[in-house]
Amino acid sequence: MAISIRDTFSSITQEPTAPMVRNDVGQPSFTITIDGKVVQAYEGQTILSVANDNGITDIPNLCNDEKLEPTSACRMCLVHIEGEERPLPSCNTPAVPGMVVTTNSDELFHIRRTNLEMMLSDHNAYCQPPCQVDCPTHIDIPGYLELIAKGSMKEAARLVKEVLPFPYILGLTCPAPCQKACRRGLVEEEIAICRMHGHAAETCLLDPPVPYVQDPPTGKRVAIVGSGPAGLTCAYYLALKGHYCKIFEMQPQPGGMLRYGIPEYRLPKDMMDRELDHVWQLGVELQTNVKLGRDFTIDDLFAQGFDAVYIAIGAWTSNPLGAPGEDAEGVVNAIAFLGEKVEGKTVPVKEGDEVIVLGGGFTTFDCTRTSVRLGAKVHTVYRRSRAEMTATMEEIEDAEAEGAEITYYAQATRVIVEDGKVKGLEFQRNKLGEPDASGRRRPVPIPGSEYVVPCNTIIPAYGQKPDKSVLDEKSGVKWTKWTTVQTDPYNFMTDRKGVFSGGDCQMGAKTIIECVAQGKLGARAIHAYLSGDDMTEVSRRLELEERKPDLFDIVPYKPVEPKVKMPMLPYEERKRNFRLIELGYLKEQAQREAARCLQCVCPAAGQCDLQRYSIEHGLADNRFHDGEPDDYHDYDVDLSHSFILRDPNKCINCTQCVRVCHDVIGPDCYGMFGKGFDTIVSTPFNVSLHDTDCVSCGACVQVCPTGSLMMAERYLKRYSFALDRCIFCGDCVEVCPHGALGETPNFELSFFNRFGEDITLEKDDLANAPNYLVRQRLPRGKKDLPVMSPLVRPLPARSIRE
Amino acid sequence: MPEKSSNRILRRPGDPDMRSLAAYRQNGGYAALEKAIRQQTPAQVIQQVVDAKLRGLGGAGRLTGEKWRIARRAEEHQKYVICNAYDADPRSLVARTLLEQSPHQVIEGLMLAAYAIGASEAYIFARSTFREGIDAVQAALREAVDAHLAGRDILGTDFSCTVNVLGADIGFMGGEETVQMALIKGRRGMPEQRPPYPAQFGLWDKPTITNNIETLANVPFIIREGATAFSSVGTASTGGTKLLTVYDYVPGSAPQVIEVPFGTPLRDILKLGGITHADDEMRAVVVGGAEGGALPISLLTTPFDFDPLEEAGAIVGSSMVEVLPENTCMVHWAMERSRYLDHESCGKCVPCRLGVKRITGILEGIVSDLGLKSDLALLDEFADYVPKGSLCGFGIQAPNALKTAKRYWPDHFTMHIEELQCPTGTCIPVRAHRFVTKHVLP
Repeated sequence: MAISIRDTFSSITQEPTAPMVRNDVGQPSFTITIDGKVVQAYEGQTILSVANDNGITDIPNLCNDEKLEPTSACRMCLVHIEGEERPLPSCNTPAVPGMVVTTNSDELFHIRRTNLEMMLSDHNAYCQPPCQVDCPTHIDIPGYLELIAKGSMKEAARLVKEVLPFPYILGLTCPAPCQKACRRGLVEEEIAICRMHGHAAETCLLDPPVPYVQDPPTGKRVAIVGSGPAGLTCAYYLALKGHYCKIFEMQPQPGGMLRYGIPEYRLPKDMMDRELDHVWQLGVELQTNVKLGRDFTIDDLFAQGFDAVYIAIGAWTSNPLGAPGEDAEGVVNAIAFLGEKVEGKTVPVKEGDEVIVLGGGFTTFDCTRTSVRLGAKVHTVYRRSRAEMTATMEEIEDAEAEGAEITYYAQATRVIVEDGKVKGLEFQRNKLGEPDASGRRRPVPIPGSEYVVPCNTIIPAYGQKPDKSVLDEKSGVKWTKWTTVQTDPYNFMTDRKGVFSGGDCQMGAKTIIECVAQGKLGARAIHAYLSGDDMTEVSRRLELEERKPDLFDIVPYKPVEPKVKMPMLPYEERKRNFRLIELGYLKEQAQREAARCLQCVCPAAGQCDLQRYSIEHGLADNRFHDGEPDDYHDYDVDLSHSFILRDPNKCINCTQCVRVCHDVIGPDCYGMFGKGFDTIVSTPFNVSLHDTDCVSCGACVQVCPTGSLMMAERYLKRYSFALDRCIFCGDCVEVCPHGALGETPNFELSFFNRFGEDITLEKDDLANAPNYLVRQRLPRGKKDLPVMSPLVRPLPARSIRE
Repeated sequence: MPEKSSNRILRRPGDPDMRSLAAYRQNGGYAALEKAIRQQTPAQVIQQVVDAKLRGLGGAGRLTGEKWRIARRAEEHQKYVICNAYDADPRSLVARTLLEQSPHQVIEGLMLAAYAIGASEAYIFARSTFREGIDAVQAALREAVDAHLAGRDILGTDFSCTVNVLGADIGFMGGEETVQMALIKGRRGMPEQRPPYPAQFGLWDKPTITNNIETLANVPFIIREGATAFSSVGTASTGGTKLLTVYDYVPGSAPQVIEVPFGTPLRDILKLGGITHADDEMRAVVVGGAEGGALPISLLTTPFDFDPLEEAGAIVGSSMVEVLPENTCMVHWAMERSRYLDHESCGKCVPCRLGVKRITGILEGIVSDLGLKSDLALLDEFADYVPKGSLCGFGIQAPNALKTAKRYWPDHFTMHIEELQCPTGTCIPVRAHRFVTKHVLP
């Protein structure tokens, strides 16, 4: 913005000035030097304006806009000017002939970075929730916790089901990586996120919400091999897309490891069936007792008329004991043991047995605690330390409390066999050596430390692998060297076109939630394939979506409120029965716990200039955390207006909204109030915008560099357009404040749109899109958007609907 | 150095009351205005002021004549002069005293400045709480306008300058010139970035000169007696005298307003101000007001002048000299100053609004025996960052208290941090939690 000088003729004697040079178009101009580059400038132009005009666009600024009078409040655009002792803001300093400007230096970088650190130290908001990032399926955790806190359990369950079909099941069994990342843990204790969606789902197991309206039948048919979590999830989402799905399951009942691998005390099967019914209710068909390789091949499936196949056969082959004597009677297959127990068959463990379970994962403890409940005396032995076990602390502690004896740093070397039966197991003690590929320290045996433990049953639970034999060369599907199905890492297609794979058989034995995530992404990929998409493009898009975003850790002081603990069945009551160990929350407890969520979401994430500059300046630390309440502000959020949401907590006092509303638009709805540290931009007396002269133009939202002012999420209806009645008056183009409609020179109506395809979008279109997306690595500034956007949850690069 | 004060502006007890026009005229009042308007050109007036080495007595220290010259040169018909009679530090009594005792002198100085730069409108901007002073200057203004010494057709020439008297009370920031211009325009009292300087683009983007009331009160003497006479008192770089408010730490003692030539050593100033404490009873002398620096007793030989004080770490600032008792913990003192400034900041720019708050937080932690060694480096970093990044003089001078406390009494800081003990045993913890560095996930 140029500061004008009048060219008046006055009687005051003029001092001699340098002759004005005229440039090639006749405008009076002069030159200045920016970063060694000689550039043209006009009288009254600010340095920042000169820089932008000449392609130097990397001077950061947070409080300037070309529409507004500069105020130099943010101090980000400071530059060195030769002859000046201290850096000056380029947005407000007029260029003078011969000026030499440097826009970057260590000193300037440090000043800018400290500015950002200062702003973030009082920024009572969060960019993106780490819980949603760490969850493999990326559930909108703050979203559903908010719904639970309000009491809308079914709505919360519906929100979870958008990416996770089985919230009840996962609520009991998931190791909850989200909870480890929960920022509430930095205050006192993390939220019980997992149990929250379990509770919400439990209230509506029999009357399940469907995440979005099921699409009409497409006529495509998909065969899914395996009804474990991956297969079921894939079927669920494909069915919602309108495809016909049929699941082929080798066991007599569906569920896979959910049924046959997880004991009853952890996941009651009758309740599980109720949740699995949700899949059948969508019209998915199931055929049991058929096994791939034995009863049918992949070619058969295609011959039957299926257009795509999803292989989710899981990992059911237990790794062997790996020591001499492993064929003796009494060495029990872990998976078979658990499966038979669930089916009600006789198991080789009974009252009074001495059982040794080997390993340190979930399966190990499932076997351990099942054996304890069957009346056996159980020793659980792991070759490394407690900290390196992959099972959760709760499992380990519960196993010990229920009566199992856990030994660390011991490795099984030899089975003591007598008459073909197991009599004991020889161990050698270990110590920890160098870390191996997974980062865990390798155990190194100590020679001469052998000892024998007498027992009659040994259950090695050293992990599982998929069964390689079911798919041979002829099927076209290849295996990796780790005995998993080989697929493209992002679009999950195997080497055979139209055959996809996911779950344990593709990743190796992992947790349920990761398999569900694979199933969900597999459904996306298969749908894209059935729609005729280019699979490399699908791969690229899915890879972008799953990238981990950059986060900031800002935890202002919050009053301490401890976690509501899940009531558990007392240890005495667990003896010799398989009753569910978690008793469940009451509704008030669930609401209380959900209300503890810090709601680490900001709708501006990805468009926020503060975030972008902080990433660019490598701001990873804030030295002013965890102080006292007086060190920070905690304002109330004003969501009263229909279109503009105000969150003073994110305001950096740049006053762009004040200036744009007063100088450009006119109504003058905002002002800066308070003094010193407590200065804040708000409406007079902090009233709702409805009570000001606000015209809802959204100019303040567009200039706001952070998420302090945001457009409210709008529920778009489908607007149809009757072209035959249009008289091309252009009124609609004139009144639309968002530039959504435009005129072409031929006086037709041209369809501008935000998404590149249709002019209209339904709510379901938005819902069908993945709920979690990182659009690109570095977020763009808000001002780069062509129109003011009502984004609340980031949208995909293109609509998934064809 | 003269032992007693050579009062050119300040009225001594026993001096005639010069609030009425007649009394003022009787004592040589308005002779300078007549001389300037009838016998001199504005350029000559400016030259005299330059030769007299009159510097901005509001604390900035810019050569007044040079500033006038820039405004003079600007090719604009409408120019403004603002007389800054707002004592930024509420404890300073300089502006109030001048308004109450010598209103006509102020008006004469203001008219001389307006003549020099060609201004047609002038403002006297005072604190609205100076009821006596404002009444006095308004009464004097009425008399002056009636006598054609201000307002329309001054002294029968075509030079006119209307004077408006304004009062505001917005705290420390009200003393800043761009804040006063913003208030005149009806905006929130926040400073504007300089450059561009108000001498070129000031009130309503017209050339505006803001001079401190004391600076203007000195101008009549320069024109009447000549630049050489004026600069015969003072130092080689600064001519003339300075009004100071001197505070003793004894509770109930009244502050003294004195006038001393530039160059007077601080020790003499204390004596003139009626402070009789022995050296070992005093911890420090704070020069400059709320944003001033503390100087140890060993530096009492420092002459009161812009450059020597800045070298020592203090400033002329609000023209206040106060003494701290010997049992003052300098960390605590720096913390109190920081707290006050954090409340008084206008809130516009990030380094001042948030930086001073964070400095206060760290100092509070140190005082409460929660300090870490890394805090010292952090304070140094911020003592450098806040002045470099701030928009106006408030932010630039804000860390002075901290800087001087750390420079001259580093042992106070280390004692609090390492030995968890107050050097004077007077500090009470004010915080329960200190700041903790958190690392970003993952």
